[in-house]
Amino acid sequence: MHISDGVLPISVAVGGYVASAVLVAWSARRTRSEELPKLAVMTAAFFIASLVHVPFGPTSVHLLIPGLTGALLGSSAFLSIGLGLLLQSLLFQFGGITALGANALMMGLPALACGWFFQRYKGRTQLRQVIIGGLAGALGTALAAIILAALLVTGGEDFFGIAKIVLLAHLPVIIIEGVVSAFTIGFLARVKPALLQPAFTRSL
Amino acid sequence: MAVLVAGAVWLRRIAHNRSVPEEDRDWSVPPLADTAGGSLFHLWDVRCKIITILIYSFIIASLKHLTPALAAIGISLLILMTAKVSFSKVILRLLAITGFISMFLVVMPFSAPVHNGDTVLIFKGMEWLGFNLRGLRLAATIAAKAIAIALLMEPLLSTAPLPVTLHGLSRLGVPEMIGQMVLLSNRYLHVFRHEARRMSSGMRVRGFRKRTNLITLRAVGNFIGMLFVRSFERTERVFDAMRARGYRGRFPEPAERRLRTRDLILAAGWLAIGVALIIYDRIA
Repeated sequence: MHISDGVLPISVAVGGYVASAVLVAWSARRTRSEELPKLAVMTAAFFIASLVHVPFGPTSVHLLIPGLTGALLGSSAFLSIGLGLLLQSLLFQFGGITALGANALMMGLPALACGWFFQRYKGRTQLRQVIIGGLAGALGTALAAIILAALLVTGGEDFFGIAKIVLLAHLPVIIIEGVVSAFTIGFLARVKPALLQPAFTRSL
Repeated sequence: MAVLVAGAVWLRRIAHNRSVPEEDRDWSVPPLADTAGGSLFHLWDVRCKIITILIYSFIIASLKHLTPALAAIGISLLILMTAKVSFSKVILRLLAITGFISMFLVVMPFSAPVHNGDTVLIFKGMEWLGFNLRGLRLAATIAAKAIAIALLMEPLLSTAPLPVTLHGLSRLGVPEMIGQMVLLSNRYLHVFRHEARRMSSGMRVRGFRKRTNLITLRAVGNFIGMLFVRSFERTERVFDAMRARGYRGRFPEPAERRLRTRDLILAAGWLAIGVALIIYDRIA
């Protein structure tokens, strides 16, 4: 779910732009410059993956995949997510133009956290990678929901009710996202383990 | 409320009808722009256009009252008419935000805390559920601002080809690499969407149906994994092909346009409207 125009207080919207511009610059510096075109192409793949809908009872939910993006791209993830959201704004206008910075923070910060978490704890065995991958997927969505609720709450007490509903609505997504991420990581561990190393980041 | 629901159903039908013929379109990148038009917007300098609409959008987003926000919708509609953009694309953009906006319209009247002087409608037998008119007004203001800004996106983006808009961005100080990456992502977005569609029709042919169970989640997980593997391998080939054609970190630049006085006059005039709106908002 992306924040649309006109919801956030103007100071938060501008602050979000500034903070995410700093993070995009940092993320771009951490990415090897000759890999940027590849990152752009990979961003398109993440974008398509985030359009996948999973049925949930009578309705369906679509995946957010900040966790998977972080796990696969490491610190390049913020740049990739910022790019994806800009593209989404250009093409479809989910997530308005003034809320772009805030939306990037909402998806990008969880991705960075999950990337760190996954690389730190993934270990060597496939089972462990699957479990940690699933946790990263669930964690990514949970963090995104929490940041979204926190951003909404900056609007004042009128927004408390809606922030609570947003948190509740994300609960099933967190579970679905965790399970799907676990399967995706398991698949990649079997088919192309090289993808589980952040491919585009500069080695320190 | 009934009108809203009927409107939403109608919009959905339009979107559905529109998406059907698109089904069999293939590899070509759908153009973001109607470059054929010759309106004021098509001739406006792209840098001026981006800056003006961006600042104006922030002004709209900072409005606090319903009437100025509704006035902003009116102004956006006038702008749409002068810009001569495709009406159906505007509808699609509005459709994209209906979910989020209608959540506010539905939830806020019930969730907004009651202050002194608020009008609260209480239904017989459902005393615990007060319908706060102030909450509805707040939600309507948010919706009006979101719509007013969303209406401006087509005049901003589709009155020049995407490379020109992105070039304008880079002339405004955004690193050139960002523009290049947007172009590349945009190109491969459509390739991968095609690929994803091919994979999912393959799954359907083999009898896979999406349901609420673990098997579905496993299949979706593998589907996404496969998409990543194929995409990653494609990135290598794409990059090799780009280098083989002499890519050195730059794309050829689109034609340059000079900044003219009338570009600036148009920008100043528009921003004046924004300032007038915000003054009206603060004194109202």
